[in-house]
Amino acid sequence: MAHEGPMNEEPREGHPAAEVAPTRRRLLMLGAVGASAVVTIRPALASTAGSILNCEIPVPDPGHSGNWIDADGKLVAPNTPGAYPPALRPLTGEQVKSNLRYGRSYPGTSYDQSRAYTNYIRRLQQGTSGFTCYASLQMPRG
Amino acid sequence: MHSFTVRIGPVGFRVGSAWPRPVAALEAIYAGYPGPRDGIADFTVRLEPERPWRRFVRPSVAIRGDFILPDAVPMALRHGFLAAEMGMNLQMALGQRRFLLLHASAVERDGRVLLMTGESGAGKSTLAALLGERGWRLMGDEFALVDPVSGLIHAFPRAVSLKNAAIAMLRAEASEDRFGPELDGTPKGTLRHLRPRADAVARMDEPAAPALLLFPRYGHDRAIRPMGEAEIFVRLTQASTNYVALGEAGHAALARLVKTVPTRAIDYPDSAAALAIVDMLWAEQAR
Amino acid sequence: MPRRYRADPRSERISVEMEGMAVIYHRPSGITHLLAAPAPEILDALSDQALDVDGIAACLAAEFEIAAEDEIAAVVADRLIELEGAGLVARI
Repeated sequence: MAHEGPMNEEPREGHPAAEVAPTRRRLLMLGAVGASAVVTIRPALASTAGSILNCEIPVPDPGHSGNWIDADGKLVAPNTPGAYPPALRPLTGEQVKSNLRYGRSYPGTSYDQSRAYTNYIRRLQQGTSGFTCYASLQMPRG
Repeated sequence: MHSFTVRIGPVGFRVGSAWPRPVAALEAIYAGYPGPRDGIADFTVRLEPERPWRRFVRPSVAIRGDFILPDAVPMALRHGFLAAEMGMNLQMALGQRRFLLLHASAVERDGRVLLMTGESGAGKSTLAALLGERGWRLMGDEFALVDPVSGLIHAFPRAVSLKNAAIAMLRAEASEDRFGPELDGTPKGTLRHLRPRADAVARMDEPAAPALLLFPRYGHDRAIRPMGEAEIFVRLTQASTNYVALGEAGHAALARLVKTVPTRAIDYPDSAAALAIVDMLWAEQAR
Repeated sequence: MPRRYRADPRSERISVEMEGMAVIYHRPSGITHLLAAPAPEILDALSDQALDVDGIAACLAAEFEIAAEDEIAAVVADRLIELEGAGLVARI
């Protein structure tokens, strides 16, 4: 269980002004309206055990969610001219494979934008959460 | 069908292949490894032609088996050995239930285990291979197997996957006969696999207790940072392919690991710096 | 009558404290969540009895020794949305 009670006990003065400060600080410990206090663990692969068709690749990855993608698939600063904004939704393995094999563009994107996204995916380092999705996207040589 | 069987630690595999070459490569790099217990494989991998006529014409290897990627794009025949290794990884990633799997390398010294986890390129395989040549026992470079009951790490010493510059580094240290085929033009660049040393193979059934967990990052100025338990826990759930599938046992095993194993994030500019950091931190935890 | 909320009995959760937060394995769903204050306290309050927002606020006020219950109620309402979304709290 989390902490049992207020973490920093302050000596209670009889002075009204001194009592207001600890109360406010304790209130802040409860977090603000709008701040999040619940994070659900969603391991990308483990939750889809056995069904990798459902795997997805966010473009860009969550660690770089603010970056844009240039035509070569490299991460660049937001609003860089000629670059594309992050994909609104993660791309599914099926969508990416379709783009690789048949040149089919991703929903709501142009041909060039789709190519930029695919180039980004080609450059992805194999991280755990993308392991099987990545394996499913490898192209044979030649 | 050409066939190959092997036991890697507690897991037995059978690899069936429509072509002889990948099986020959597997036989060579895993020579001397035991076979599956009672001859029964836990997982099967099959390397098959994508279409029947692709067995001979521009051969195209589809990775199939107990657990598959139904729409996986096939691989060239000259990467067949890599396809087999990926197939074995896939079976573990999707099918392993007895052990909590962490995407981490593991090396053992004095009965205790150093775990290194992180994204591809972080250096966990390269560092594990280098440590394996410096008196540490290599337990694995891809998966660390955590026993949910005992908390011990069980060895899974597959061939170590080395990329690009790391290949040359290890070729300077390990004899030529320990290397698998050179695989160029893979999506990850040039790959080569390194067979673990004889002691790593001989002792593959000796588990050991985890004593230090590192999150290495290659290509940064040297830095060592503590990590909060919550951050470690969440990162490890991302580094585990079966945390959710193991349910309560997985949660307990991971919480126990986080609570009991000292952990650091380390940044390093080159492997010499990393090895020095490892020596220092290992000496600290041994006290 | 204002809407009331409830959580599963404590036996249905495994909670591990890390950095002052609670890592909670929820047995019925098999899903793990990371909860920061006051979410764990809200869950505990709702494991004992079904409460509405004001009832929860009163519990937290006592737990954290804070007088400003109406400010707490706003935070509670927010957290309940998250906890419901996570499947840890249900309306009755």
